[in-house]
Amino acid sequence: MAIHIERGNIVEVARGPRKRRMVPGSALLDGLAVVWTHWRESFRMNRDFSDIHGTFTQEYPDEQPKLPEAYRNMPILLYDDASGHELCTSCFQCARICPPQVIHMTQAKDPVTGKPVPAVAEFIIEYDACMSCGFCAEVCPFDAIKMDHNFELSTVDHPGLTVHKQELLRPISYYQRIAPTFWAEAEAGAMKKLQGNVKRRPDVIGLAPQLTEMLAARRRELAEQAAAAPPAPAAPAAAPAGEARKLTPEEKAAKLAAIKAKNAGAKGEAPPAAATPPATEGMSPAEAKAAKLAAIRAKNATKETAPAPPAAAAAPSTEGMSPAEAKAAKLAAIRAKNAAKNAAEGSAPPAETAAPTAEAAAPAAETAPLDAKAAKLAAIRAKNAAKKAAEGGGEG
Amino acid sequence: MLKTEELQINIGPQHPSTHGVFRMLVTVDGETVIDLKPVFGYLHRNHEQLAEQNTYLQNMPYTDRLDYFNSMANNQAYAMAVEKLAGIEVPERAEYIRVLMVELTRILNHAGALGFLINDMGMWQTQLAFGMREREKILDLFESASGARLMCNYFRFGGVARDLPPDFLPRLKDLLRAMPAFVDEMERLLCENDILMQRSEGVGILPRDLALAYSVTGPVLRGSGVAYDIRKAEPYSIYDRFDFDVPVGTVGDVYDRFLVRVEEMRQSKRIIEQILEQLPDAQGGHINPKARQNVRPPVGDVYARIESPKGELGFYLVSDGSTKPYRYKVRAPSFINLTPLGDMCRGYRVADMVVILGSIDIVMGEVDR
Repeated sequence: MAIHIERGNIVEVARGPRKRRMVPGSALLDGLAVVWTHWRESFRMNRDFSDIHGTFTQEYPDEQPKLPEAYRNMPILLYDDASGHELCTSCFQCARICPPQVIHMTQAKDPVTGKPVPAVAEFIIEYDACMSCGFCAEVCPFDAIKMDHNFELSTVDHPGLTVHKQELLRPISYYQRIAPTFWAEAEAGAMKKLQGNVKRRPDVIGLAPQLTEMLAARRRELAEQAAAAPPAPAAPAAAPAGEARKLTPEEKAAKLAAIKAKNAGAKGEAPPAAATPPATEGMSPAEAKAAKLAAIRAKNATKETAPAPPAAAAAPSTEGMSPAEAKAAKLAAIRAKNAAKNAAEGSAPPAETAAPTAEAAAPAAETAPLDAKAAKLAAIRAKNAAKKAAEGGGEG
Repeated sequence: MLKTEELQINIGPQHPSTHGVFRMLVTVDGETVIDLKPVFGYLHRNHEQLAEQNTYLQNMPYTDRLDYFNSMANNQAYAMAVEKLAGIEVPERAEYIRVLMVELTRILNHAGALGFLINDMGMWQTQLAFGMREREKILDLFESASGARLMCNYFRFGGVARDLPPDFLPRLKDLLRAMPAFVDEMERLLCENDILMQRSEGVGILPRDLALAYSVTGPVLRGSGVAYDIRKAEPYSIYDRFDFDVPVGTVGDVYDRFLVRVEEMRQSKRIIEQILEQLPDAQGGHINPKARQNVRPPVGDVYARIESPKGELGFYLVSDGSTKPYRYKVRAPSFINLTPLGDMCRGYRVADMVVILGSIDIVMGEVDR
């Protein structure tokens, strides 16, 4: 019996006495026939190995199972074979998405300035609570965390399953071996991002701790550079991390600007505008240009210690700028903000006048379509800075 | 006359025949079951409350652990619920991959469930081993696509985590070539087997009316003669594109449920063959590129359901506009199918009781959540 429905039938399963066996023992013979077929087939297949299919016993501890590339067991961290640098920048994406919340990390800090560096200081994964979902590897924008293929994790050392960075780190070549096509897809982006981050890592930060030889070599290199560089009493206190590095022309220019700004500040008897040096190391040419601009702005700001509207000055100029320039302007606005703050702390009145100008700058910025956003942002920053300066001035 | 007395005994919670930590409080008169009360909750792990502390995506791997035999089906139901709530489109190819995975899940679930049923009847391990062998081949495919055999965590909002690996379809075709031999052989050896028929025919009858009254779903309901399959009744995903039959039983006993499952494996294979024909023409990639995984659905509630291998699996979600569900409720087929166990067992022998439980096909992870 079958009732037709859309794209199919409702069929009643066949059962009942018409299927029941009438001859006793026929089921046994039928079963033996099945056994006979399989027995015969096993001989047939042994002659022709090309047609082998079915299930085979794998002698596991001697013979390792062939795992698919996508196989995931526990997360590991990667480091670059050549430079020894870890790919992780401690962006906390994996820790945030982790469903059982077993990933913990602390961000590396510059030992001199105390500012955060795109590298990870300590990284802990609780393997005993990890559910192997693979989300951490999926969200990682730097391809730093990947899923391992090693499943032989049984241990009697339970606390040992809280795994620290040193035991988590594997070279990229290892991941390349277990998942060649996955790494081939990720390689270009990951290496580009790593190079960008390595430039912003001072000292030996970001080097895999187990690479003792590489670490020692890097320390030697740093010491040699420090010895070779002339003592720099004129350099601002914040700069020494940068001193150890080879300076590019852009960096030099930025630094010069910073020193000039400092001198200018000292002349104007205002505090030196918390200017640029620490940030200049590892900057791209565009950024260095921006820093220079900022330094000049800051210099101007500190010079006109009294009713100066420095914050407003940065905002309108962003009109018609390229994105890179807009970024620079943004930076300049921040610098100017600091300058204005310092100026206000030094002497009370200026900010009142600064605020309206900043406000006026905001609509003007809207006219430039491409960079409107950046310019607007800069204007808002400047406005806020002016406000803050006003508040600071009022209190002081 | 000898004095007779009713006796109350506990079967479970630690008992190999109870398919997990499940207790049956049975009142017996000699060998006859007079009353049976299913007692569960031993595997409760706060799934629904936990889900309300997690973001929407973080719940995906937890749904794997509901019915750990069918993680792909659980994934699909949950992904569908969130997509409905957040209005995420799924590309055609992703839908095909999803249906392919869920139909493979149905085959492996039934292969395992029938093995366990025969196991409960006393044919210790033989059929189970053959069922597990077939299941293993499908799990290998799952592993190559998703990275894990059981806890696949393969579905994402707007598609699946990654596209099928290059060797997936050839291996699947090999599997499908070998599949009918397995089902036919099983049918030849078992469906007309005297011992199996004596143990299952007329045992654990669940009448049509009672099945409807208990809102039982899946093969248990179809075994009772109700042709209700959500894939036909309310075609979700792309099920309206495939030809397949809905097998139903006539009596509603253990034997009917057994035969319905055997036939469903064939129909799933039919669907997969149609998917293989249509998949190369499917538009789009494996995931909607615009779909954000960190979803923040608008305020509202939604109920999405699928025909999981065990019955109607539904997710009810309430959103308060944040990144976490305000309410998260699972309508688990195993749980609802288990409730008429007392009525099904009344009047049968203690040994039948174990077979009846096996024919419902429960997974305690889904019953207790």
